[in-house]
Amino acid sequence: MEHEQTHDGAPVIEATGIVKRFGGAVAVDGVDIACFAGEVHALVGENGAGKSTLMRILAGILTPTEGQVLVDGRPLEGGDAKASLEAGISLVHQELSLVPEMTVAENIVLGFTPTRGAGFIDRDEQRRIAQAALDEIGVRVDLDEPVARLSVALRQFVEIARAIARQPRVLILDEPTATLTPAETDYLLAMLQRLADRGMAIIYISHRLPEIFALGDRVTILRDGQLVRACAIDELTSDEMVDLMVGRELKRELETHREDVEPGPVVLCARGITAPGVDGVDLDVRAGQIVGLGGLVGAGRTELVRAIIGADVRTGGTATMTIDGETTDIRSYRQAVANGLAYVPEERRTDGLALTMSVRDNIALPNRRRLSRLSVLRRGRIREFAMELAHAVELRPPVITADVGSYSGGNQQKVVLAKWLGHEPSVIVLDEPTRGVDVGAKAEIHRLVRELAENGTAVLVVSSDLPELLELSDVIHVVRDGRIQGTLDSSEADESAVMRLAASGEAEVPA
Amino acid sequence: MTTTDAASTDGESVTALEGPGAAGPEGFQLLPWMADRGIVLFTVALVLFAAVFVDGFASLANITDVFNRSAPIGIVAVGMTFVVISANYLDLSVVSQVATSAVTLLAVSNSTGSVALAMLAAFGVALVYGVVNGTAVGIFKANAVIVTLSTTFIGLGILRWASGGSIYFGPNDGPIRAFGLAKIGPFPLSMLVLILMTLLLSYVLRRTTFGFMVKAFGSNREATRLAGVNTAWIVIGAFLMSALGALIGGFVLAAFSNTAVSTNGTGYDFEALAAIVIGGTSVFGGKGSVLRTLLGVVFVSVLSNLMVLSGLGFGVQQMAIGALIVAAVSLDALARKAGAA
Repeated sequence: MEHEQTHDGAPVIEATGIVKRFGGAVAVDGVDIACFAGEVHALVGENGAGKSTLMRILAGILTPTEGQVLVDGRPLEGGDAKASLEAGISLVHQELSLVPEMTVAENIVLGFTPTRGAGFIDRDEQRRIAQAALDEIGVRVDLDEPVARLSVALRQFVEIARAIARQPRVLILDEPTATLTPAETDYLLAMLQRLADRGMAIIYISHRLPEIFALGDRVTILRDGQLVRACAIDELTSDEMVDLMVGRELKRELETHREDVEPGPVVLCARGITAPGVDGVDLDVRAGQIVGLGGLVGAGRTELVRAIIGADVRTGGTATMTIDGETTDIRSYRQAVANGLAYVPEERRTDGLALTMSVRDNIALPNRRRLSRLSVLRRGRIREFAMELAHAVELRPPVITADVGSYSGGNQQKVVLAKWLGHEPSVIVLDEPTRGVDVGAKAEIHRLVRELAENGTAVLVVSSDLPELLELSDVIHVVRDGRIQGTLDSSEADESAVMRLAASGEAEVPA
Repeated sequence: MTTTDAASTDGESVTALEGPGAAGPEGFQLLPWMADRGIVLFTVALVLFAAVFVDGFASLANITDVFNRSAPIGIVAVGMTFVVISANYLDLSVVSQVATSAVTLLAVSNSTGSVALAMLAAFGVALVYGVVNGTAVGIFKANAVIVTLSTTFIGLGILRWASGGSIYFGPNDGPIRAFGLAKIGPFPLSMLVLILMTLLLSYVLRRTTFGFMVKAFGSNREATRLAGVNTAWIVIGAFLMSALGALIGGFVLAAFSNTAVSTNGTGYDFEALAAIVIGGTSVFGGKGSVLRTLLGVVFVSVLSNLMVLSGLGFGVQQMAIGALIVAAVSLDALARKAGAA
């Protein structure tokens, strides 16, 4: 209804020819986007399509490699967050950026805390600004309450109040509903509509298509950093949008599936797993089977696998490993590893590797028992062992004495795999095993994962890379809101089917 | 888990260097080289300088004196090296540990007549220190600096209360006195103890799975935990090594002077740290060695000795050591930045 009026005049914010490269990887590749006053502009795309990167460029947090951001036709200094704020652009971050120990009022004015002379905080003015911002979005919350004591949903609204308090002309929201219930979501959508009606330009990122259709005037669809379509929202159906996001031509690449392998007995068995972000999940992985976990970022997949293997605290449910007919409860992560678990975490640099140590030492770490005698390291054995595994994963170059930190992302990930291959795992859990990895290394890693399964290892893979998930998995569980929303057999799974289960959530927010 | 887009967060790993070799010969970087190898050069240069230009340095009497003074601190420092490598900064409680060890040795042996019993009692106290410090830091994840500062207070409080602040003198004919006076050739026995402790702890750090895990933990504690390591035990073990150094250091100190008092060990926390970081062990954890600490001890002792011989007062020495520590930790941080992948 709005776009008739919004299209007159120049856009409030306009970005042209935006390119952002991180080293060799192109995150955003020549994208234009414009948003008019009073318009809600939806930005959609798969995980990794470049949405958040683009928004951070608009907000001046990142400097574009190429291209320009214009506000009212005037170019904005790239990468200057302060200048962007002053030009009236406010970004509501995907991750909450509040200071938990500070009060609601202090958080709302953080960064432009009002002062009287001599630098003393003007508490009255602080409360007035905060209250005005909260009133504007119609949220009632005690100004003196520390943010840590608020519910996640209320924190999200305080975050929005904080953006509103600067009286922006452009409000960017990155997945604001990820942590909200359907009722809270409805409230948020109505509130944003009111703000738009009063002339604010709103850019709205969400994976949840019903929201997009309920709120958006226009939509920009990104795929692999490129602009695929920009149009009025009512020109597309929900299915067409999904197809544009995943790319019709990419769908169901040549069948590279393993021949039908008869999976063995259940090795990893989880029942009623609950944890923060995980809500009662049952899951089985059989020997020789590759089970994939699909879903959107933030759906709770990482939390789920970490709760199953005991890497994080489980609040409910049981998990067992059955090896050679013997079943043991997974009571602690350490004990699970001792029983033959391997875990390739999502963040290899912070959780997977000791970057200042050599390739050899990283490979030796989980295998130290078999590489020592009476607690004394057998250095010759370690060298041979590491060399053998470095070759098995095709580490290039295979210099086992070099620090892991000096290798590229793909090679680093191979080292993570190498150290666990040496462990000869009965169960391996891989979280985003090829994120940030080049194509060649990716193929190597896929080959290694398949080989593990062929040798009878039970494999559980979390991946946001849909082609990868489809290519590797025998069975795919799609996770949403900490629950398994649906299970797809390899024969019936395709990208659209996974995305529909992951994103549309028919039972949730009505369109 | 992160909730940002994959492509935007992982750019950095893509930009990381290709493996060494693939990237061609690596350029020479001065800062990492200095942080890594500088201590060898500086120590040699300092000793040569002293021998040539400073009167009285190169005499046997002076060198023996340097070793006698530096042996207790050196022994404490090689033990504390484990705590620093485990990325837990330092063990301030060596101050009260050294005092307790020295006082226990003389007080118990004086009252029971058994040196063995006295050593056993001191050993028991060291065990308690290591376990308490290690448990608070390793299991409760409390900050190591605060914990060890507090256990220093607790330990000194107990010691002063129990000893009434009195000075204990060993008998002039006992085995402790004999040990303190013993020499191998021209060198005091304390020097042999320092060298043996260095070799022993160096072996533990470099060759045992425990030492390996201490380094790994210091380099990345979460990755080490996820490799299936019992990280609480690693931290407790590191503090036990520090307690062992303080125990033996206290023995040597008591034997050397044949006296013990609750103020023994004052300043050992700082001087041990000086030796460790000047030796080139990283306060960020994961990198370092016991042999480096020995070099650091030699460097600091020779430097102090030079200043004494040149007639510079204690104030100047203190200032110089403080400045050196700032320089060493700054170099460590800069080198880490320059060498970061």
